[in-house]
Amino acid sequence: MILAVLFANSVGNVLIERFNGVPAEERLTWRSFLVKLGAENLKGVKNEELLVACHKSVYIVYTMLGDVSIFLVGKDEYDELALAEAIFIITGAVKDICGKPPTERVFLDKYGRICLCLDEIVWNGLLENTDKDRIKRLIRLKPPSEF
Amino acid sequence: MDLISADPTPVPAKSSSSSASASASSTPSPAAASAGSHVNQPMSTKTTLGEKKSKRATLMQIQNDTISVAKAALNPVKANIMMPQRQRQKKKPVSYTQLARSIHELAATLDQKSSQKQLVNHVFPKLAVYNSVDPSLAPSLLMLNQQCEDRNVLRYVYYYLARILSDTGMSPGGGIPTPNWDALADIDAGGGVTRADVVPRIVNQLTSEASNSETEFHARRLQALKALTYSPSGNSELLSKLYEIVFGLLDKVADVPNKRKKGVFGTKGGDKESIIRSNLQYAAMSALRRLPLDPGNPLFLHRAAQGVSFADPVAVRHSLEILSELAARDPYSVAMTLEKLASPAVGALQDILHLNDVLARVALARLCHSISRARALDERPDIRSHFNSILYQLLLDPSERVCYEAILCILGKYDNTERHGLESSFRSFSRPVLHAAARVVQEMGKSRAAAFAMGLQDIDESVHVNAFSDVLDDAETNDSSHPEGIRRTSSISAGPGRNETIASLLASLMEVVRTTVACECVYVRGMVVKALIWMQSPHESLDELKSIIASELSDPAWPAALVNDVLLTLHARFKATPDMAVILLEIARIFATKVPGKIDADVLQLLWKTCLIGAGPDGKHTALEAVTIVLDLPPPQPGSMSGLTSLDRVSASDPKSALALQKLVQAAVWFLGENANYAASEYAWESATPPGTALMMLDADKMVAAASSRNPTLAGALTRLQRCAFSGSWEVRIVAVQALTTIAIRSGEPFRLQIYEFLYTLAEGGVQSQLSEMHLSNGEDQGVSGTGLGVLITPMLKVLDEMYVGQDELIKDIRNHDNANKEWKDEELKKLYETHERLLDFVSLFCYIPRAKYLPLGPISAKLIDTYRTKHNITASSGSTDPTVLATGISDLIYESTQPAPAASNSSGLDDDLVNAWAANLGDDGLLGNNAPAMSRVNEFIAGVGTDAPDVDEENVFSRPSVGYDDMWAKTLLENNELEEDDARSGSSSPDSTGSVESSISSHFGGMNYPSLFSSKPSSQATAKSSGSKYQSTYEGYGSPIREEPPPPYSYSESQSRESFENPMAGSSSRSYGSDDDEPRKSTVTRFGTALYDFTAGGDDELNLTAEEELEIEYEVDGWFYVKKKRPGRDGKMAGLVPVLYVNQS
Repeated sequence: MILAVLFANSVGNVLIERFNGVPAEERLTWRSFLVKLGAENLKGVKNEELLVACHKSVYIVYTMLGDVSIFLVGKDEYDELALAEAIFIITGAVKDICGKPPTERVFLDKYGRICLCLDEIVWNGLLENTDKDRIKRLIRLKPPSEF
Repeated sequence: MDLISADPTPVPAKSSSSSASASASSTPSPAAASAGSHVNQPMSTKTTLGEKKSKRATLMQIQNDTISVAKAALNPVKANIMMPQRQRQKKKPVSYTQLARSIHELAATLDQKSSQKQLVNHVFPKLAVYNSVDPSLAPSLLMLNQQCEDRNVLRYVYYYLARILSDTGMSPGGGIPTPNWDALADIDAGGGVTRADVVPRIVNQLTSEASNSETEFHARRLQALKALTYSPSGNSELLSKLYEIVFGLLDKVADVPNKRKKGVFGTKGGDKESIIRSNLQYAAMSALRRLPLDPGNPLFLHRAAQGVSFADPVAVRHSLEILSELAARDPYSVAMTLEKLASPAVGALQDILHLNDVLARVALARLCHSISRARALDERPDIRSHFNSILYQLLLDPSERVCYEAILCILGKYDNTERHGLESSFRSFSRPVLHAAARVVQEMGKSRAAAFAMGLQDIDESVHVNAFSDVLDDAETNDSSHPEGIRRTSSISAGPGRNETIASLLASLMEVVRTTVACECVYVRGMVVKALIWMQSPHESLDELKSIIASELSDPAWPAALVNDVLLTLHARFKATPDMAVILLEIARIFATKVPGKIDADVLQLLWKTCLIGAGPDGKHTALEAVTIVLDLPPPQPGSMSGLTSLDRVSASDPKSALALQKLVQAAVWFLGENANYAASEYAWESATPPGTALMMLDADKMVAAASSRNPTLAGALTRLQRCAFSGSWEVRIVAVQALTTIAIRSGEPFRLQIYEFLYTLAEGGVQSQLSEMHLSNGEDQGVSGTGLGVLITPMLKVLDEMYVGQDELIKDIRNHDNANKEWKDEELKKLYETHERLLDFVSLFCYIPRAKYLPLGPISAKLIDTYRTKHNITASSGSTDPTVLATGISDLIYESTQPAPAASNSSGLDDDLVNAWAANLGDDGLLGNNAPAMSRVNEFIAGVGTDAPDVDEENVFSRPSVGYDDMWAKTLLENNELEEDDARSGSSSPDSTGSVESSISSHFGGMNYPSLFSSKPSSQATAKSSGSKYQSTYEGYGSPIREEPPPPYSYSESQSRESFENPMAGSSSRSYGSDDDEPRKSTVTRFGTALYDFTAGGDDELNLTAEEELEIEYEVDGWFYVKKKRPGRDGKMAGLVPVLYVNQS
C-alpha cells in the first residue's frame, strides 16, 4: 500500500497530498514528519536524487524536483525499491507536464494536469500505470491501448 | 496563467503574474510570494474581514480561519503553511465561489466551444488546487458528464466525481484548505447540498456508464468504473453492485482465448476488437484489485486466474497480486487453478518473467513462495516444483526489487548469484537500493540467528544455514527436478570446501556492508547497523561492531527514533540468541553513554530486564554488572575525562543530555533495586540464615565480609547502591535509598542488617565514626554526610525496626514457651499472626514481596503461622490473585512489552529456559504459579507475543478503593513526631536491644494508644472519607487482640497492598491519586454557553460548531472546551473539543 503521496514546496507547505489507509488523526503527524524530514535533508540535494527513510516497517522515499519536494510513504510490497520505482514515474510525469523540473509557479499552473496524472499513477494506494504514453492517453480520456 | 483568480476578467500581464503568485501562495508559500514579492505586502486579516463579501464568502473565511487556527494550534509546521493564506484573502476574495459559479454557468452553455475551453484551461485546473470538492457542484458535473463531448472536460469531470465519492469530509488533498461542505450546507450556504444527497445520483450515473457496452464509449467506461472504486468500501450495496459490474464485464471479455504475444506489451498492433477487449480486461481487473478479497469464492479465483493471461501488463500485475494474496490464505485452490498455467508446457507464468513490470514479478515471487511452501500441497510435488523453479529464476531478475523479494522468499538457501547481486548493490549510489540491500542482509542475519538458535549451525558456518531451512521446510525433499541448472544445496551435500566458500562469501558480504556505513544517509546507516547486529555471531569479536556503533552515535544527525529502533533491534537479537545477553548489554551501554539524550529509558530498561532474565544462572552476575556499569560513569564534566577511553566517554556536554543521563542513572539504580535479588538469587523467604545469626555479626567489618563471601553479586550491587546514595545527585540518592530498602526487605541476613546499618547511618548524618568504619571496611569513598534523606529514610528504617522488634519479641516468646514447656494458645497465635500480617502490609508499602511466603518475623515464625492458618482455615493470599503482582517489577515487564519491539523472525528461538528462569526464582513460591494469569503474560512477553497488556493494569489502578496508602502514609507521618521524641530509644531498639524497647513502637501500631489517629485523619484526606468506615472497622481488629471471632476476611489487606505499590520511576503519586483527580472535574458545576462562530472539526476528537448553537461545557483543557450539544450535529456527533474562544460562556 502506498500510504501517502505528498508534494510540498521548498518551505514545507503541502501542495498535493493523497493519503490511503491512514487514519485521519495520523495524517497530521505524517504530514509534519515528512515536511520536517524534507527540511532537514533536502537542502542542496540534486534533482531527482532519491533519499530514503524508514519508520518502523514503513518506508519513505523522497526527492526534490525543481522547487517541489515529493514524498512517498509505503509499506508491505511498497518498500524502498518499489517506492523508488513509483517516484520515478511520478517525477517523470511531472517533468513531462511542466517541460522541465518545475518552479513552484509552473507547478501550480499545471496543477490540474498533475492531479490527473497522479490519479492515473497511484490509484487507491496501489501503483497503477507506469507507462508514460499510457498515462498521457488516459488523462485525455483515451483508452490505454489504441487501435 | 492566473491560477486562482479564475474569472475571465482580463488582468494586466505584469500584475497577473504577481497576483497569481500571491494567490498561489494560498497553497502557500513565501517562495511563491518571492516571485512577486515586490507587489503585495500582506495587510492584517482584520481589514480583510471588514470587506464586504457575500454571506458565503464570509462563512468560508471563518471556516478557513478556523481550520488554520486549529491546525496551527496542533502543529507549528502547519501554521507556517497557513500564514500566506491571509495574503491571498487580502488580495483576492476567495475565488472558489466564482469557480463554482463558472462551472454552473459553463455547464449550462456547453454548446459553445469557448465554454469547454474555459472549463479545461481555467476552471477545472484551478478547482483542483482546492482541498476538496463541494458536493453542490455534483449536479453540474453530472450534467457535463451527460452532455459534453470534449474528452478533456470529461476526464476532469470523472476526476471530480471520484473525489466527491471518495471524500468523507476528512480526506483533504493538500492545496488550499476548504471548509467542511456538509457542515456548511447545514447553514444553507451552498443550497444545502450534502454528499449524502448527491452520492446516489453519481453512483447511478457512473454505474450505467460502466455497463454501457458501446464500442465508442469504452474509454469512458473505464473511467466510470475507476471513479466508482473510489467510493468508500463501507457501502455494501455499492460493493455488490461493483462486483456485479466487474464480473459482468469479465464474463464478456475474459473467456475469449487470447494469446499474448511475447515481448509486446499490448500497446500496439492487434485488431480493434482485441484491443478493446484488452482495455476492458484491464479496467475490470484493476477494479477487481480494488475490491475486497473474496477468498472463498471460486468465481473470484477463477476470474483472477484468467487475468494472468491477459494482454494488458497492468491487468496481469493486478491478477498476480490478487492471486498472491489469495495464495497466502488458500494455497491449495490457487495452485490447482494455476496448475496448467504454471507448467512449463503452457508457460503462462514463465512469460511473466519477461513482462516489463517489476511489481508483477514481485507478486509472482510471492505467489510462487506461498505455493511452493504450502503443506497442503505435499501430495503434489510436481506443482510445487514448477513454482519453485520460477522462484529461482526470479533470483536472477535484473530488477533489485524482484531479486530481493526472491531472496527473502527463499532465505537461507543462498546461491552465489544472490550474494554477488547484493554485493554490487552495496556499491550502488542509490539510497533506496542501499537501504533495501541492508535490509535483505538483516533478514539474512535473522535467518542465521534462527539457525543458531535451532542449534543447527556451528561456529564459523561449518554447517550451512541450509540445514535450518531444510529441516523446517521438508517441502524441499524433491529438489532433484530443478530445471535450468539451479542447484540446491543441502546440508547433506555440503562438503567442507563448500563451507569455506560460504564463510568467505559471508565475510566478503559483511565487508561490503561495513563500507556502506560510510553512506551519508542516516537511515541507510541505521539499517546497516541493524544488519550488522543481526549478522554478528556470538562467537566473533564484537570490537569492530562496538567501534562502528560508537563512531556512528557521535554523529548528531541520528534522530532519536532511529536510535531507539536500533536498541529494539538489540532486544530482538537478544530474544533470538539469549547467549548474547552480555555482548548486547555492552553495546547498549555504548548507547547509554554516547547519546543519553536520545534513548528512551524504558527501552533501555526493557533490554536490561530481558537480558537479565535471559542470561541464565551463570550469566546473571555478568548481566547485572553490565547494567551497573552505567552507574560507574563519572558525571559528565567536560574536560575531566582524560583518563577515559573514548568508548566510555560521556557525551553529555549540554545540560539536556546531562539530565537525560541522570534519568538513565536513576533508571539503572531503580532497576538494580528491583532486580538485584533476582540476579543474586537471594531471597529472604529462601534464606537459610536464621535471624539469630545476624545478631552475631553486628560488627560491621564481619558483616560486610560475610555478605560478600556469601553472595558477591548482591554485595556488589549493594556497594554500588550505597555509593549512589551518597554521591549521586539528589534524585539519584532518593532512588538509591528506595532501591536499598527494597533489597533489604527482600534479602535475608546479613544483607538486611548491612543495609539497615547503612540506612541508619545515613539518616543520622554526621556520625563520622560509623562512616569511617564503613569507609575502611569496603574501600568506598562515602562522600560527605548530611544527605538530607532523613525524612525519606525514617519510614523505611521504621519498617525494618518493626521487623526486628517483631523478631526479637517472637524469639523471646518462643523461649518463654519452651522454658515453661507451654503450648501456644490460640490468642497468642492470633496475636502473632496479626503482627505478621501487619508487618506484611507495611513491607508491601515499599516493595513487592510474595505474601504467601514472606515471613517478616523470620523463618522461625513459619511453623506457628502455619498452625494458626490451618486452625482457622485461612488461605494465604496467593500470588495469582494478588494485584500487587501487577503493580511492580513483573508488571513492568508486561507493561514494557507494549513497546513497539520489532518482532524477531524467530522469537520462538527463545525456549522454555527463560520461562523457567522466572518460574524457578519467583514462580516456585506459588506466586507466579500454575494458573496465574500474570505468568502467562510474562511467558507471552518472553515469547514476544504480548502487545496489549497494560489495559488491565490501568483499570486496576483506577478502580482500586483508595484505602490503604494514604492512610498508612499519613500514619507514618504522624508517627514521625512520635519517633523523634523517643529517638534515642527507637534508635537503639535495633536488633541488639532484644525485647527491651519493643513496646515503644509496636504499641503505637497497635492503635489503641492513639485513637485520634484515625478520627482526625479523614478530615484532611478526601480518600479516607469514602472508605474510612471500612478501614476503621477492620483496623480495629489489630488493636483488639482479645477479640474472639476469627480475624476479618483480609479483604482489607488485599486492597491495602494494592494501593501501596509504587514504582519510583513511574510517578507513583499521579497514579495513586488518579482517582482523586477525577473527582473535582466531575463535581464542578456544568457551565453553559453558545457558539460564537462556526467551527470545523480538525480531528476526530473535535466537534463541528454552528454559530448560535447552545452548548454544555464539560471542562476545559489547554484552551479547548469539551462541550456537549443539545442535539447531534449533522455529522452525528454530540460532544467533542472546541476552541475556548469560539464559545461564549453564559
